[in-house]
Formats: sequence, structure tokens, C-alpha cells
Amino acid sequence: MVDKTPEKQEERTVVKGLCFIGVGIDGNTIEVDLKDGRIIRINPLHYDRQYRAELLKPWKMQARGKAISPSMKSLIPPLSLAYKNRIFSPNRVLFPLKRIDWDPKGARNPQNRGKSSYVRISWDEALDIITGEMKRVIGQYGPHAILSQSDGHGETGAVHSPHGTHRRLLRLLGGYTLQCRNTDSWEGWYWGAKHVWGMEGVGQQVPATNTMLDIARNADWLLFWGCDPETTSWGFTGQMTSRLCYWFTELGIKSIYICPDLNYGAAIHADKWIPIRPNTDAALHLAIAWIWITEGLYDKDYVTDHTVGFDKFEAYVLGEEDGLAKTPQWAAEITGVPSRIIKTLARKWASKRVSIAHGNGGPMIRGSYATEPGRLEVILLGMQGLGKPGCNQVKMQEWSLYGQHERNPMPRSSIMPTVFAADRGWSGPERLEPLPKQIIPKDLIHDAILHPPISWYGKSLLSRDPVEFQFERYTYPAEGCSEVHMIWADTASWITSWNDTNTYIKAIQSPKIEFILSQNPWLENDVQFADIILPISTKFEVEDIGVEILSGQFNTIFIDSKCIEPRGESKSDYEVTCLIADRLGLLKEYTEGKSVDDWIRTGFETSGASEHISFEGLREKGYWVIPPDPQWEQYPAGLIGFHDDPGNNRLQTPSGKLEFYSQRLADHFPNDKERPPVPHFLPFGESHQESLFHPRSKRYPLLMVSNHPRWRVHSQHDDMTWLREIPTCKVKGPDGYFYEPVWIHPSDAEKRGLAKGDVVTIFNERGGVLGGAHVTERIMPGSVYMDHGARYDPIVPGELDRGGAINTITPHNTTSKNATGMVASGFLVEVEKTRLDELRAKYPDAFDRPYDEGAGLVVERLIAKVDD
Amino acid sequence: MKALVIDVSKCNGCHNCQIACKDEHVGNDWPPYAGPQPLSGQFWIKVTDIERGTFPKVKVAYKHDICQHCGNAPCIPACKRKAIIRRDDGIVLIKPDRCRGDRNCVAACPYGVIYFNENLNIAQKCTFCAHLLDKGAKEPRCVDVCPTGALTYGEEEELKNLIDKAEVIEPAGLSTKPRVYYIALPKRFVAGAVYDPAADECIEGALVTLNNREDGVSLTTGTDEFGDFWFEGLKVGMYSLSVEKEGYGPHKIGSLSTQQDVNLGDIGLISLNDKRSGKGLGD
Repeated sequence: MVDKTPEKQEERTVVKGLCFIGVGIDGNTIEVDLKDGRIIRINPLHYDRQYRAELLKPWKMQARGKAISPSMKSLIPPLSLAYKNRIFSPNRVLFPLKRIDWDPKGARNPQNRGKSSYVRISWDEALDIITGEMKRVIGQYGPHAILSQSDGHGETGAVHSPHGTHRRLLRLLGGYTLQCRNTDSWEGWYWGAKHVWGMEGVGQQVPATNTMLDIARNADWLLFWGCDPETTSWGFTGQMTSRLCYWFTELGIKSIYICPDLNYGAAIHADKWIPIRPNTDAALHLAIAWIWITEGLYDKDYVTDHTVGFDKFEAYVLGEEDGLAKTPQWAAEITGVPSRIIKTLARKWASKRVSIAHGNGGPMIRGSYATEPGRLEVILLGMQGLGKPGCNQVKMQEWSLYGQHERNPMPRSSIMPTVFAADRGWSGPERLEPLPKQIIPKDLIHDAILHPPISWYGKSLLSRDPVEFQFERYTYPAEGCSEVHMIWADTASWITSWNDTNTYIKAIQSPKIEFILSQNPWLENDVQFADIILPISTKFEVEDIGVEILSGQFNTIFIDSKCIEPRGESKSDYEVTCLIADRLGLLKEYTEGKSVDDWIRTGFETSGASEHISFEGLREKGYWVIPPDPQWEQYPAGLIGFHDDPGNNRLQTPSGKLEFYSQRLADHFPNDKERPPVPHFLPFGESHQESLFHPRSKRYPLLMVSNHPRWRVHSQHDDMTWLREIPTCKVKGPDGYFYEPVWIHPSDAEKRGLAKGDVVTIFNERGGVLGGAHVTERIMPGSVYMDHGARYDPIVPGELDRGGAINTITPHNTTSKNATGMVASGFLVEVEKTRLDELRAKYPDAFDRPYDEGAGLVVERLIAKVDD
Repeated sequence: MKALVIDVSKCNGCHNCQIACKDEHVGNDWPPYAGPQPLSGQFWIKVTDIERGTFPKVKVAYKHDICQHCGNAPCIPACKRKAIIRRDDGIVLIKPDRCRGDRNCVAACPYGVIYFNENLNIAQKCTFCAHLLDKGAKEPRCVDVCPTGALTYGEEEELKNLIDKAEVIEPAGLSTKPRVYYIALPKRFVAGAVYDPAADECIEGALVTLNNREDGVSLTTGTDEFGDFWFEGLKVGMYSLSVEKEGYGPHKIGSLSTQQDVNLGDIGLISLNDKRSGKGLGD
């Protein structure tokens, strides 16, 4: 397939948003230089290219005699800068494909999903098959037999949203089953911390207002607790976070990193690294509380006025409940943190102003029983006067999430522009529709397909649903609804980003699933299990509208301009849904009679910017930079209101206070030992046995830490040559394959006879994953580290993977019995040297597939040869 | 003369500089400045992680390899076809239309920053994006995309304040006169943690003295609340170290080498007052 020959043009510059959150809000704005239909270069957006710098009125944060202001350009990450690689990846799907041994009128061979190759078909044939199957499935089973997988991250887009454009169409057809995202990357806060301090939404601190200024002026210490400010922020916010970290150091604030791995932030910013064994943060929290209680080092008045249930918490800490005092010596055995460090950390914390920094994810919050450290951290903050100057929880990324000022810790903008009205996907008006009658939490899809009926607590769409939902029990199949028999997926990252995904693979090979439709720009991960694959264009191939609200610098609104013609026969997700709607006679209802241009204009008119700039003016300039709110400095910082007057600034808890003991949990789950009313440290239990204290650790003696990746956003970007050349991104094996690095300490490598660059197998009873040994001092002995999200390249689907998709062997069960989050970090594995020659001899097909040394997997590996 | 200053202490390792260079030059032909760079394998500016120290006293520094645009560039006389020129502004260019693939320059460059393009049969390297500068750009792509201001480009005289703090890298025995200046290039560190084993406490405020045994220069520092001390910016050499704190017996290390960064690990001081130190607060 050859792309269309472009016409000759003059060089011109357009603006785009290129962060990877997957909804219509951006943090990484770029300028793209175009000539003759080609992308010449991707630059940061220079805010002052079209406007004089002084008109932008940049904010200035001042503290301790120093100041910081926005840069005059967007601070984009390498993920955006190298994006040509992604657009022109040899793994792009350029035309519709059908699985060679799937016949909608005959044998469907579901057991071969993940093994079969594909043949090219026309758009007409593809649409005939799709609409035929939809009608058949709905007729045979009812509309709820169609499962919509349409959430998660991706390129930003409004009209051309990467996820959820088909939800409206399925709703018009009478309903569907929704895969409910059920909150990821926030597990311990969402299912835990909310029960201490409310904080609807994610469970992290709101208001975040002016917390960065507050830290700069008032904090002595900043604890980066399982937080990597040089990684997780990249795909969402860009690199303003990095500038802040340098500035805080310049101001004399001590940066303390508490995590098993010397992450990329710690590697350059840490004044102190306190390595801690995965899944043991709760024990450290408790020992700090023990010091404070036994030495009288906490704010007793604050605890009296602002909290409930301290007595029960105190009883647990002192051992009155279980006969076990939570002393530093007790915690040292568990955490691997020397008791003298624990004592110093506790005593000095009590004498200083301390804030805690988080991103998304991180080892503290994504392990088994993550609710417990999530809750205990808030309790510790509460014991030291949470909300007083310098004492808040602060988020290092994703500022202004949901388009809300109070979720922005940086200086407030005069306008919070949004284009949600134009958003044709899951974050547009569709998000306001009631959830379908039948839902399945994303982390229970495999159980739902393989072992129905299932039931669980909680439902969540964009993590915005009230905490009360966590006390409601849901079942699948829902009353009057069929099980699912067809999957429509516009997201491809279940295997690389969720829990026990080897079992998920078995589920989607089930004969129950008669048809899988997948639409994606790249033939990666879940896509290679579909029956029909539709080619999707990248955002460089379509026109859209966007807003920058996540960068912490300026808010902007911009025309997200088309740069090149769609590659091959690709179309946007919205265009695909329109085609299908048209065949079903629902085009007008689906589009509401509006063209893409109409929707772009709707986005502009409802953005909040239209009173200040005309649509034509925006088109001409390409973007508009919104000045800061002149009063930004006056807004009270963080939780100072609650600190000063808890009666009039109630938290979203039943008592309005910090609940060290949750009566609500006690009432709803009186027998839950895994999330009791007072948070506990649980090494293992009924749901999970991922601990060095459990006998399983004899067979699997290493704890695997898996953070959000440095060189990807989840499973995006894994094919980008210019990233893969970086030695911390991939390890070139002796066979020329680029393996995903697994960090292992020299002492653990030596025990296993491993050297840097060896191909190794990481395994437990859930399966095996190959990786490239990265022997390093940056991981504590007894733990190993691997980023999640590397592309799945099955040797044996559901059992053994070559690509490094570590989530194939993550724990199956949810965070705990009644907390429906997933567990993606801190689980037991063993690592051994791979006998590559033996594997290659046993599985020659898996090892001989076409492969590109620069980009890795290529689409040809799954295209049937002509004479097949 | 044009110059580039790289402040290593401000580099967060994002590799934007390395990638912007590829975005600008891969698949883009900029005659007469440079031919297109191949999709992968060439690094006109290359960032490398340098892991320093041992668990848990570990830091990472990033190293930047780039054409030094030498005032006395060994590549220029090495090219028999006179394809390498130094412009009046100091930028050294390999002219793609004159290069005929002799490769002498690749071997002659002591910095290893000239690459050979097999397909085009030309040698290639950093041009400081002269094709953009000549059209009015203020700085090369790598500088523009740096989020932290670690890279600064400009006239040597205008960068004097930065250059005064910087150093150049000149291989032994060569006077290449580089126009790339480095601030805060990592030297060596010596670090450790001081504690009282009987009391099970960190020792804050211990006096740590490090003596260079070759030049006799002595450095001192105090331990922080965690008992940690770090000496940074040390020369490679032989040192001795002592740790002192009132009420404790001193700890001395007669000889240590800074061939590598040194983590001395946990250093226990013995209390001279057993009664006081024998009682840990956790007991």
C-alpha cells in the first residue's frame, strides 16, 4: 500500500496537541512544519510566535528570593517529539483485515485467536460483515450481547476521539454492555484514601489550588512516595514538572524518594533515597505513627478537631488490637528500611513542614491491598495538621484534570477552556448518559466471560462517580441481559496494561465470543486477537479542535490541524462509526446532522474562549494563549480552609472529617479483613499472597515492581525507533531482538549467573515473559523492575511472551475482596537465564516472524502469504 | 564564534536533544549543509546514562557526545578532498556534495562523533543546524527542545558568564580547542552513612574529613539528619577519611581510591558512654 502522492505546497506551520491521555484535553502542544504534504519537523509550540510575550502576562511564582515563570515554549516530552516514528510505523494497519480462519458463515475458530494470520479485505466487505454480525448478535441475544471496550489512553482528540465513538451508536441500537474502566493508576487512593478523606474523583487531594506555591514558600521536605516526576508526567503534562523539581531543590527543599527503585526522578533530584520493599509501605506508615504516638510528636489539637476514630487507630498501632506493637524494629524487618532511618524520618517529619508528592501509579499505590497505604498516608498527613502551610498532598501531573480549576496546583488561568461538547467519544456528552444496564469492570472481563455469573462492588466511568457506588453490589449478567458474544474494541491495551492478562487471552479465545471487531492505527497487543481489524488514522491525518489545560504553563485553545492525508485506507474512529451508522440507517441520528467542521465550531463556541477571539481569528493564528487569572495568587492554598475551619469546610466523608476509623466501611463490610475500618498492614491474605513472608516466595523469591513506563504511555509508543535506540528503553539480545529491560541488582544477578544483556525469563505460576537483563544498582536487592506496556509478542498465547508484556503474569484478583481495583505491581516472580536456542527450536514460527530492528514488530508478521 | 554550553547538572535525561536532531535530519535533506541522516544508528548528539555509586548511594549523570566544532579540528586536515570546512562563525561542516566517502575523518575525530552513511557514501555529523541558523533561527533544534535550559547556544563572548564556570574536554595530548563547553561534568563522590549501632540511631552532625593524600587538600562536611555525608566533585586519586563526633570514638579509613565513585556504606561509631547509648528508643 503506497500513500497518496502529495501535491507541492509552500512550507507552513500548524498547531496540534500531542499528549496521550486519550480525551479532549492536552498538555503537550506542538508546532508542525509541513511542506509538499510531508511533515518536516515537530517543534514545541512557541507561545510567543503569534503573540507578543508581554501580552501573555506570564505568571511568576516567587518564594525564598527566587522566582519561576512559564517557559515561552511548550515543554514536550520525547514521546511527542519522536512521533513521526509512530505515524510511519511499519506496524500501521493500512487497510481492513479479516482473520484468515474466521468465517462468519462457517467455522469461527476462536481458539486460534492470537495465532492466525490475516487477509486484506475491502471496506465494503468489512462493513457488510460488521453490520451483518451486529444485526445477527442483537437479533439472537439482544443488544447487551455486544461488549464495548472503549476507554483508556491514546492520542488526544475531540471530534476524532480515539475511544468511545461507538457508544452513542450502540445506545441508539437499544443498549450494550460497557466495559467500565473502574479506575486504574489510582487504585489505593480510589478504593482506600477516599474512605478517610472523601476527595471524590480520583481520591487524591482536591483542592490542589496553589499547592505548588505553598510548597515553594513553606515546605521543608517533599516526600516523593512511589512517585516518578520524570516519567509519569510526560505523556500528560509534559516537562514543567521537571523544572519544578529543580526549582524546589534550588529553594532548599529536601527531596526524599521512598520507593524500591531509584526512578528517573530520584536519579537526579533525590537528596535522600529510602529504598523500601514493594507492598510494605503500610508498615512504614504504621511505624512512623508509632513513634509519633509514643513520643507525643503529633498535632493533638488538630486530631481532636479534624478527625474521628483516632482511638481505634491508636489501639491498632500500639498493638492493643492484635498484640503487635508497630515499632520501627517491627517495620524494619518487613520493609527493609533500617529502624534508625524510620525513627529519624518520623521525628524530623514531626518537626518540619512536609508535603507528599504523587503522580499516577507508582509502587505504593498499585500493589495488593493498596487501599491500606493509600489510607495510612492520609492519616499521617492528618496527624501533622494536613492543610497547614507546607503540608499537603500534591500531584505532579495531569493538572486541571476534568477541566477543573481546583485540580490544578499551578497558577490559575483566567479561563479553563474545554471542548467536551465537540467530543464524540467517551469523554464528551456521552459521559453524561446513564451507564448501560449491563456493565463489567475492566479488571473482571476475563472472569465475566469464563466464569459467569460474577458480582462485585463499585462502578466507575471516568473515576468521577460518587464513593457510594463502592457500596453497591452489581452482577453480570444483569437481570434480563444476555452474556456478551461480540466485542467492539477501539482500544488495544488490555493485555499490556491490566491484570492476569494471560487469563484474559484464554477468555477471548472462548467460543462464547463469536466476533471481535478491533479498530486501531497499529497492529499491536489486543488487535492481533480480533476477527476483523479496521485501519484507523493517527491524529496527524485529521482536523480537530483542542485545548491545552494540563501543562501548568498556559492554557491554550487551538485548531488541531490536519497535517497529512490519511495513510493507506485509514479513517478516524468517528468516521468509522459514521460508516457503520450509515449502513444501519442511523447516520443522521448518530451525527445529529452535523459535519466534522460543524462539531469543531461547536467545540469552539462552547469552549469559553469565544468571547475573546473569533473562530476566524483562531483559524488564522492557529492557537490562542489564555493569560493567567490576575488574582491567581489570592486563592487559598490546598486544604488550608479545612485546616483553619473544618466545620465550614467539611470533607466529603460522612463525618466531614478525616476518618481514621471508617464507620461506613464497618457498616457495609463488617467482616472484611482485607480492608478493615482502620487501615492495617497485610502481608498476604485471602485475595493475595504476594509477599516474601508467604511460602510462595520460596519458589518465586523476587518482588516485581512495575511502574508506568519511561519511554511509553502504557502501551503507546513501543514501536518508536528513536526511543528504542536508547539503552534504557530496550536491550538488544544476541538474536538481534530488542527485549524489554528488566532491572536486577548485581547481587541477585550473580546468584542466577546473569550478566548485563542476557535474555531472561521472568515467571510465576501465571506464565512467563522474556526480558533483557539490565544489571543495575538502581533497584534494591530482592526486587526486580520492569516497565509495563511493552508490546505483546506471544510465543505461546496465554503462556509465554517474548515482547515483555509483564502484565500477562500480574495477579488475577482485585485489590482486595471488596475493592475492585487491579494489582499491577509488587508481585512474586523468579528470573532465570533463557535458553534461547531451545526455545527457538521448539517454537520456530514465533521466532522467525518478520521483524524490524528499529521498530520491532511489523504488520507483515500477521499477513497471510499470497499462496497460503 | 558560535559555542554550545551544556550544563550537566540541569540535564534530566529526557533525550529530547538526541531526538530533535533525528526529527530534523532523518529523511530531510539540507543541501549544502547535510545529507539526510539514516533512520537509526547515528547520534549527532548522543545522551548516555552514567550510573554512579552503589546501592543505596546511587545517582545518575547524563553524558552528551556531540561534535565539538573544534577550533583546531583534527577532521579537517584528515580529509584529503577538503570536504570539511570551518565557517567564519566557527561551525565545522562536512560538505555532503564534496565528501566522497574517504572515512579518514571518522578515524581522526577523537570524540567519536562522526558517522559514516553507507547508503549515501558520506561522513555525517552535527551541523549546529546551520541550515536553520542561516535562515534566522536563534539556536539549533537540540537547544530549543531542552525543557530545563541545560543547553545554551550563542556567541562565545555572550556566553562568557557560563563559560567561566565550564570546562572543555580535550583528549590527552591534543589541543582541539573545542567550542562545546561543559558545566558540572561529574567527577567522583565519596558517600556514607554514620550511625550509632548500640542506640540504633542515625548520627547527625558528625564531622567527616576527607584528605587527598597526593596534594594534601582537606575537605570537611557534616552528616545530615539521616547520618548521610556526600563529598562531590572529587578528583580521581587516593584519599583518607575520618569521622568524628563528640562522645564517640573516631572512625578512620587510611586509604581509599576514587577510581570509581565510592559508597562507604554504613559506618558505626562506638559510643564512649555505654550507659547512654545502650538504650534505644524502640526498646
